[in-house]
Amino acid sequence: MTEPVPSSPDQPSQIQALPPGTSLRIRRPGGETWEGWLLPRESSSDPEVVHVKLRSGYNVGLRLVPGSEVEVRPGPLWGRTGEPGEAQPGGELPRAGGGPPITLLTTGGTIASRVDYESGGVKPVRDVSGIAGSYPGLLEGGPVAVRSVLDMLSEDIGPREWELLAQEVSQSFHAGARGVVVSHGTDTLAYTAAALQFQLPFLPGPVVLVGAQRSIDRPSSDGVSNLLGATRVAREADLGEVVVVMHAGLGDGPLAIHRATRVRKMHATRRDAFRSLNESPLGGLEGTSGPIRLRPDAKPRSSEPMEIRTGFSPDAALAWVHPGLSLARLERYTQGVRGVVLAATGMGHVPVPLLEWIQRSVREGMFVGVTTQCLEGMVDPYVYVRGRELQRSGATFLGDLSPETAYVKLSWLLHRTSDPELLSRRMAENLAGEISPRREVHEIPESGAP
Amino acid sequence: MKVGLEVHQQLSVGKLFCSCSGELAEEVTGEFVRRLYATQGETGATDPAARAQASRNLRYRYQTTPNSCLVEADEEPPHSLNPDALAVALTLAEMLGSEVVDQLWVMRKTVVDGSNTSGFQRTALVAIGGKITVKGRTVGISSICLEEDACRKIGEGDAETTYRLDRLGIPLLEIATEPDIRSGTEAHDVAEAIGNLLRATHRVKRGIGSIREDLNVSADGGSRVEIKGVQELRLISRYVDHEVARQDELLRIRDALRERGARVPDGPSVDLSPLLRETSSRLVGDVLRHGGTVRGICLPGFGGLLGESKVPGERLGREMADHARARGVKGILHSDELPGYGVSAEETARIREALGARPAEDAFVLAASRDVHHADEALHAVAERARAALQEVPEETRDPLPDGRTRFSRPLPGRHRMYPETDVPAIPIPGTLREEVRRQLPEAPQVVQERLESTHHLNPEMARQILRADMVEAFEALIRKGLPVTLVARVLTQDLPQIESEAKRPLPEGNAPLVHWLEPALRAVEAGRFAKEGLSLVLRRQLLHGEDVETALKAVGLAPAPGDDLAQIVEEVLEANAPLIRDRGSSALSPLMGDVMARVRGKVDGRTVAALLKERLDRRLASSGPEEVPGA
Repeated sequence: MTEPVPSSPDQPSQIQALPPGTSLRIRRPGGETWEGWLLPRESSSDPEVVHVKLRSGYNVGLRLVPGSEVEVRPGPLWGRTGEPGEAQPGGELPRAGGGPPITLLTTGGTIASRVDYESGGVKPVRDVSGIAGSYPGLLEGGPVAVRSVLDMLSEDIGPREWELLAQEVSQSFHAGARGVVVSHGTDTLAYTAAALQFQLPFLPGPVVLVGAQRSIDRPSSDGVSNLLGATRVAREADLGEVVVVMHAGLGDGPLAIHRATRVRKMHATRRDAFRSLNESPLGGLEGTSGPIRLRPDAKPRSSEPMEIRTGFSPDAALAWVHPGLSLARLERYTQGVRGVVLAATGMGHVPVPLLEWIQRSVREGMFVGVTTQCLEGMVDPYVYVRGRELQRSGATFLGDLSPETAYVKLSWLLHRTSDPELLSRRMAENLAGEISPRREVHEIPESGAP
Repeated sequence: MKVGLEVHQQLSVGKLFCSCSGELAEEVTGEFVRRLYATQGETGATDPAARAQASRNLRYRYQTTPNSCLVEADEEPPHSLNPDALAVALTLAEMLGSEVVDQLWVMRKTVVDGSNTSGFQRTALVAIGGKITVKGRTVGISSICLEEDACRKIGEGDAETTYRLDRLGIPLLEIATEPDIRSGTEAHDVAEAIGNLLRATHRVKRGIGSIREDLNVSADGGSRVEIKGVQELRLISRYVDHEVARQDELLRIRDALRERGARVPDGPSVDLSPLLRETSSRLVGDVLRHGGTVRGICLPGFGGLLGESKVPGERLGREMADHARARGVKGILHSDELPGYGVSAEETARIREALGARPAEDAFVLAASRDVHHADEALHAVAERARAALQEVPEETRDPLPDGRTRFSRPLPGRHRMYPETDVPAIPIPGTLREEVRRQLPEAPQVVQERLESTHHLNPEMARQILRADMVEAFEALIRKGLPVTLVARVLTQDLPQIESEAKRPLPEGNAPLVHWLEPALRAVEAGRFAKEGLSLVLRRQLLHGEDVETALKAVGLAPAPGDDLAQIVEEVLEANAPLIRDRGSSALSPLMGDVMARVRGKVDGRTVAALLKERLDRRLASSGPEEVPGA
């Protein structure tokens, strides 16, 4: 613990150089006395402004005009005052319940994050006990082995991490886990989920990806009930698939279980952002109690030996078709790729200048897959002329496969084959629940478990 | 005594962190149910008050309204802070001579009673210091904060509370004074003066609930107790005086307990259910029949001091009951009220024996609950309160009750409940903005009050009323239009408050719309179309039905039919009844009323007739001189 010697620095830069948490008393000419502790300087803020946590708990920024008096006060740094009632995190974890063990793999993201004064935003918590400390009921159902695999924002997670996670999942099951939970930032959670499913065709238990739309440093975080629900699914459900468990609505009750290859983040901020496209969710549960419901076609826990099929090709691309998209731009974007998924308009259409390019590219060995940017519904080459032209150019129509899952699948398949015909066939057939020949009549669900 | 105030005023500038309207709504568009969890603060510590609340595992049902969006639902981050709200805060800082921060930090103040969907209230400290002088005494200002208002509580059950999102996010300006106030009356005066300053900005909401005060009171030798959310100005002095009396009484009880050597044992509570199987107490019997339990603890030396008090309604037993209720039981029974509530003398004696409580000298407390855990926890809370009674008055937050008393709500929260709002970057307050605020500073209320009194010869009370209702501009505009001061003052101070409360509908908001709305009716009175006593009737009709003055006059029967002029009829009746008037003076009103109504029934409203008749009768009586009026 540092105990700064009382002194009277008068330059803002001198004060900024003091250790954050230093006790200060500031008085500007003719003004009031401000007492509190120095906060770390935000990297982007005005250098003349000193940020102080007042004794009342409020933070303020004060400009040190010439003639200001600053007194550095003796005493412990803020945050280490050891006041009564100030329970520090860490220490003994509560004893686990008697259920079978599961593993929690953490990757960073909102499910465990806290204020970061230097950037002003929230940043992930690194320590494992910090996570368990935030989720009071986490161990009630049985032991949870927590492994911090990554510490990344989800927008930085890509194919290399997908492979690492697949290996970690595989090891966890080998080590006796009954199920595996992966906490993950929500932005690209659906991509990772699909990637894990393609790599792990036979699963002895559920692999449950989970996140939070409100960070865990908020009392209203959805992360608590999402994670507790995810651990229940991992431990209790007879499920041999990769799934995503998140809020089914705005309330903290019902959770939806989504199939990894069907799920998509459909809202930037809402708790019920995750939805299954082209099918109802695979299942659902009422949070911490009640049965876990699954659709009859959910794959049960597999007794096959686990197999792990890692590997993703960097030569896949995903392109969004839009009015005014020029051939030149698309060519530049797809330079050097071996396959591209087009998020085409409607039932799978592109502007006419693209047709010739597609024909040429396919002839030269490139894969061109067609999905719909409507996200819900399937592509169909036969209804309109443009569809037929597109199909004649050699593009492969991918049914109701979502653009993102199609991209992950393409990257994964490109790693395994360079035979265009085989690639085309595999892309269009169902490998992991990602394509279905039928879509039920019920309207597109707003949200909600089945 | 020491008293500090926190005045919370709703601003009428929309919401603080989104584009929703700040008007409350009766229409509910949907609902959702949430829970809240205690989170770790910046340093990893958890606020004890927040932890206690979260451990109760309550559910919160939120009703969405047309004036709530994803921000209030906590489904979208806050947008940038409303600049108009900040301008009002800076205006107040200038008027009070406070020192403004250079960068505003929005903080999250943890509040896990569900009243905020996020589990925290967003709040920012704008300024510290400054002062206000009231009746020659100067009271220091400790801080000015800008915060968001909480949800409106709609209902409360055992495990679930229902809130409506319409109020959530309305900007509140919080002005806190130093504990410089020395009496209940002074607290009232300071609150009123701060309210006047706020209204001078013309950017504040009016009506019940739009301004709320927290009172921080400590008696000499007592402790700081916060009475939260007083809505009526006139009750402030009562709450303050009562709180001081309560603290004095608790200190007197403490001294008595110490003298007797009272103590609070550490042991667990005792199961008394077997002793009360046959009881005729409804409360206890109900609990036991449903598989519940009755437990008790002994408080040696407390005998007689739980139920006795020199301050009506403030007993130590009640304090204990309030703490027990906060742990989920309906209430407690204590020895000073037993035998009673269906518990017999014989049962009381058996309980005493089972708990080892000496007759008279010792007290005991019982808690009954269907949940065994709750009864034990409630008694734990009772023991804690008993222990505190031996030390000092506990620092706590209390809720005001309509009768002037207060009730324990929770311990005072600490500063660990403050956490920076990471979704809103710190907001610079440049010197140029403060310059602009300074240039547009409203007139000080004292100056306006003096002007109303000197220029328009209003009496101080009327001037105060116009000022308090934020209608100075309307008043002066109507005078400038050539309407007489007495008529305008009357309509603003008498008719409008009556109309607003009777019609239960807001008056046109803002001074210009108000002037526009009032002028035709006032002109009609000036032109002799109807008596000023009819004003409230006509204006109420206009407010409720949106009619113009002519239509309203016809609707209420004040439009004169040819040859049927009301004043004419009244004069005729008065003339015809001169002897009656001479004999009975002002009590002739009622028979005269009958005569007039017989001629105008259906055409003119009775109240208008009564008002006009009374005025003309009074005039006649006054002009006839006192000696001619028997009994005068």
